[in-house]
Amino acid sequence: MRELELYFGPQHLGMVGNFSITLQVEGDRIVKATANPGFLHRGFEKLMEQRTWIQNFPLVCRINVVEPDHMELMYAMAVEKLAGIEVPERAQFIRSIYLELARVGSHLFGLWAYANMLGFDTVANWAMYHRDLILDLFEELTGGRVYHIYLWPGGVRRDFPEGFEDRIRSTLHTIGSCVPDYDDTFFHNRLFYERAHEVGKLSLEEACRMGAVGQVLRATGMKKDIRKTEPYAAYDQVDWEIPVRTDGDAYSRIWVVRDEMIESVHMIFKLLDKLPKGEAYQRIPNPFKWKIPENEVYVRCESSRGELGLYLVSEGGDKPCRAHFRTPSYSHGLTILEKALENESIADVGNIMISLYITAPEIDR
Amino acid sequence: MSQSVLKPFKAIKYLFATPKTLRYPFELKEPALRYRGFHVNDWETCTGCGNCADICPNQAIEMIEIPELVSEPGKTNKRPRIDYGRCCFCGLCIDICPPGSLKLTRDYFHIHFDPETFVFVPKDEQTEPGKYFPSDEYSVLKASLSHRRKDYDGFVSDLKYSLFDPERVPMPVVPPEERILSFIEHIIGYDREEARKEAARCLECRLCEEACPAHLKISDYIHAIFEDKPEESLKKIYEDNPIPSICGRVCMAHCEKACSLSIRGEALSIRWLKRYAADTVKDFKTALELHPGPPTGKKVAVIGAGPGGLSVAYFLRLNGYEVKVYDALPGGGGTMRTGPPAYRLPLESIDRDVDYICSLGVEFFFNTRVGKDVLFEDLLKENDAVFLGTGYTRSRSTQVKNYEKCELALAFLADTKIGKPSKVGREIIVIGGGNVALDVAREAIRLQHIQYPGEKTVVKTVSLEDWDEMPATEEEIREAREEHIQFHPAWGPKEVVVDESGKITGLQCRKVKSVFNEQGRFAPTFHEDKEMFMEGDMIIEAIGQVPDFSFIPEALFNKLEFTERKKLRVDENGMTSISRVFAGGDIVNTNMDAVTAIADAKIAAQGISRYLAGETVSA
Amino acid sequence: MQYELRSMFEGISTEGDGETRVTVKCRKETVITMLSFLKKTGFDHLALISCVDRINNNELELVYILSSYGGDAAMQKLNILVKTRIPRENPQFYTATEIFRNASPYERELHELFGIFFRGHPGLTPLFLEREYDIPPFRKDFDTRKYVKDVFDQIPFVDDKKGRT
Repeated sequence: MRELELYFGPQHLGMVGNFSITLQVEGDRIVKATANPGFLHRGFEKLMEQRTWIQNFPLVCRINVVEPDHMELMYAMAVEKLAGIEVPERAQFIRSIYLELARVGSHLFGLWAYANMLGFDTVANWAMYHRDLILDLFEELTGGRVYHIYLWPGGVRRDFPEGFEDRIRSTLHTIGSCVPDYDDTFFHNRLFYERAHEVGKLSLEEACRMGAVGQVLRATGMKKDIRKTEPYAAYDQVDWEIPVRTDGDAYSRIWVVRDEMIESVHMIFKLLDKLPKGEAYQRIPNPFKWKIPENEVYVRCESSRGELGLYLVSEGGDKPCRAHFRTPSYSHGLTILEKALENESIADVGNIMISLYITAPEIDR
Repeated sequence: MSQSVLKPFKAIKYLFATPKTLRYPFELKEPALRYRGFHVNDWETCTGCGNCADICPNQAIEMIEIPELVSEPGKTNKRPRIDYGRCCFCGLCIDICPPGSLKLTRDYFHIHFDPETFVFVPKDEQTEPGKYFPSDEYSVLKASLSHRRKDYDGFVSDLKYSLFDPERVPMPVVPPEERILSFIEHIIGYDREEARKEAARCLECRLCEEACPAHLKISDYIHAIFEDKPEESLKKIYEDNPIPSICGRVCMAHCEKACSLSIRGEALSIRWLKRYAADTVKDFKTALELHPGPPTGKKVAVIGAGPGGLSVAYFLRLNGYEVKVYDALPGGGGTMRTGPPAYRLPLESIDRDVDYICSLGVEFFFNTRVGKDVLFEDLLKENDAVFLGTGYTRSRSTQVKNYEKCELALAFLADTKIGKPSKVGREIIVIGGGNVALDVAREAIRLQHIQYPGEKTVVKTVSLEDWDEMPATEEEIREAREEHIQFHPAWGPKEVVVDESGKITGLQCRKVKSVFNEQGRFAPTFHEDKEMFMEGDMIIEAIGQVPDFSFIPEALFNKLEFTERKKLRVDENGMTSISRVFAGGDIVNTNMDAVTAIADAKIAAQGISRYLAGETVSA
Repeated sequence: MQYELRSMFEGISTEGDGETRVTVKCRKETVITMLSFLKKTGFDHLALISCVDRINNNELELVYILSSYGGDAAMQKLNILVKTRIPRENPQFYTATEIFRNASPYERELHELFGIFFRGHPGLTPLFLEREYDIPPFRKDFDTRKYVKDVFDQIPFVDDKKGRT
């Protein structure tokens, strides 16, 4: 049969985000897939070298649109480590709560994209609506819906407003009460199983060899989560479980996402119960005179897509010398995607891509 | 795991649920209380410091001059202009705004064909009432930067989370109960760490430099301290101020009143940081590397070695003039030598500054009273120019009945500091509410503790002014109260009461109705029926000083012109109405402090240089 | 761990807090051997390949950050930063794609942003950029402001009023 070259994205109905894949197909079977990133390359890491330590905060969150909060956390943590700033305990708890909310929000967004892709519009719209409820919480806490600019070195930018804990609880109850509906309509839906089962399958060895992290890795059976291995914020203060599946296909990956969301919600309740009183912010030095001694640091955290890292170098100046984000979608989108698409059908390209949870802005930076 | 084909149809129940979607624009979602929308700026409290423009990561903010606003100390006529094409609503400008005048509102609608309208100078509801509408008159269909909702503040400044530090590094002081026992300097001074920490608070907005009469390069010398380079810092100071050890202790610190941090927090300790620079550098000579300029062959005589005289001598000497300074006191400093008590300004600190100026080649003639030991006419004859920096050297008296029994402030202060301290009473009354009165009172309480150790003694002050209008600085009043000096504000002396042997027994006082008249002039009125007798065995009058021009021969004195406020009239070069005679300091300006004298001296030094170079035609 | 590495390899220096981060500085030649040794020891996850332009020393610093997938708790906590320096002029290095499959896009990125040529890489094609640059754009001597000025100032402004009438 004749081989064809197809361009999937960026202007393709099945493509979520500014990303493109070049497919070599034989019939509807993919022979070879080549990821083609760069549509969102904004050179953030270079821009960061020209802004002072504090001026980078509005910048870093823009690296990933879907989930800016972990980017903020990475930068704040790196700067704290470089400059030796202590974070008050309350701020650590607020950070964890905030990051888990972000994880739920991001997963709901992912669920929207995935369900939409498979044609489950009802579930997609629910997910989008529930994500909006979380954005409302963010708006109240930080003043922004998408770009929060809330995690600062030394803690958080503002404390919880009056009665905010209760509003988090009630919002999560609202979302939680819909879980049976989600399950019945989507997760236990036979159609979903048929579409996603055995699609884009990765074995544990393959996943490890190609640098998989996050739920891609956890769906292949490995119980690994940075929140456990190298706890940051207040993750070591509460008990929680890492959801794992063993099949390594798209179906498992989406189930891991679902279980993670539920685990996050439980974790937020536990964190809220233990939330200590006190200061939420340790004042940082005067931004106009802030110089950080020559040093370098690599920090990492578990973002909603997997291991997110930041390698930050200071040369003793008022600006970073080099910042390099290690983003989870990088390996997923450029190495694993190419492998996972091999021998699959064209109809499953979007299915596999979104189940790998790839966000293009994170790859391009 | 049970997968089902039928269960998904449960979702049909949502067909009958109320929709969650808002019907925009008929239904609107209220933004959260902290929403980061468009800016408002309270022009009244905005100082135009430009910190918002400096911190903006996108260079969206530019400070533009507003012609209808007037610059004043601590306030410029610049206001931020925001380019909404660049603004990312991060709110860094809010968190750095020292007065908290800049706020973000919950408004976020702006629809316009003209891109120019996206560049916008934010004002607030008070300044532009026509552009803000209460919620019932507000319409989203008209929403724009000039059709906004009233009382719609969103993300506003919070001092607890501000990017600047509103709190000063506390200055270590000797506790009151210990310091009143001696004349030990009670401000201990910052050490290296404290000074650097305090210097790090400076936002470098330079409002202080405008407010300083001598326009010191404050931001630069504070930055040098922050970088742990006190020598650099001192060099910067010496560009405009040759007496940092003195000014670092007793400056009136106009700069700190203008400091943008002082609006909602504590001003930067500019004065103590100057003192730190001067005290840390051990050897001025090697640190400063200043040398007199090439000799001009011109000679200048300076009368009075106070701050003005010292500064004019220093500036002229650097320009290569031969300068001789005459002073009646045994050392330099003028009023600084006799006035400020030793616990505030020790003689050693004065001598460090004077010695350095002396080392540059300025000749000093101490113990030389012009008019007696050397004649003014001769100085005028022998020199190319003469600078008068004689200051206010005589105390004024209340002239109430038996006033001649009282002591006078300046003599008391001078005796205590450089002469033989007088024998004080056990119950001292000080008349006056200014800084000099408090200096007198605080010296008196120390002398009491030295002369009557362990005995019950008291110092009281009586002032015409009430608490709120007392001319003494807040800091001085606070310290005096810590030392248990009793205050009796709003009482005026009526009569010094003496017994038959002529010894003082107390002061009869009248209650003050008002101190100033409607024009704001000094014209005290009294409640004639309310009187009080205050016991005391010693009374010191500290109600003001007057200049002494007796050294000038009458023929010349008559040629001198004075302003309405009884100050010497000088032109823009600092020259008086007598040709070749320049003046500065207390006899010229109304601030009557050291740093203004330095400012005068700078003007006069430049004036003398220009005049002697022949650039100005003699009057 | 650090001791073991020092005894096995020549000319390397190690530092670190021993618990979470260890930095290994090695010569250009030992890097690939070091990476494959570390992979065998259990540090089988390549998190990042980064590059810092040390323009003052006229060198580029390559940083490989490794961690462990399946090791014990102490090992999982540990990140190893393997560093080496190569000259800035005509920088060349060996590829790590043989050892770590996900090294490929990182090396392509460094190739286009820093101009490092990785010998043995199967397809060192551009990753993000669409233009050619004289100086690789992430190097310190690449002036972004000047670039923006040069490129975008040449685009003429749209005369809005003219366009509408």
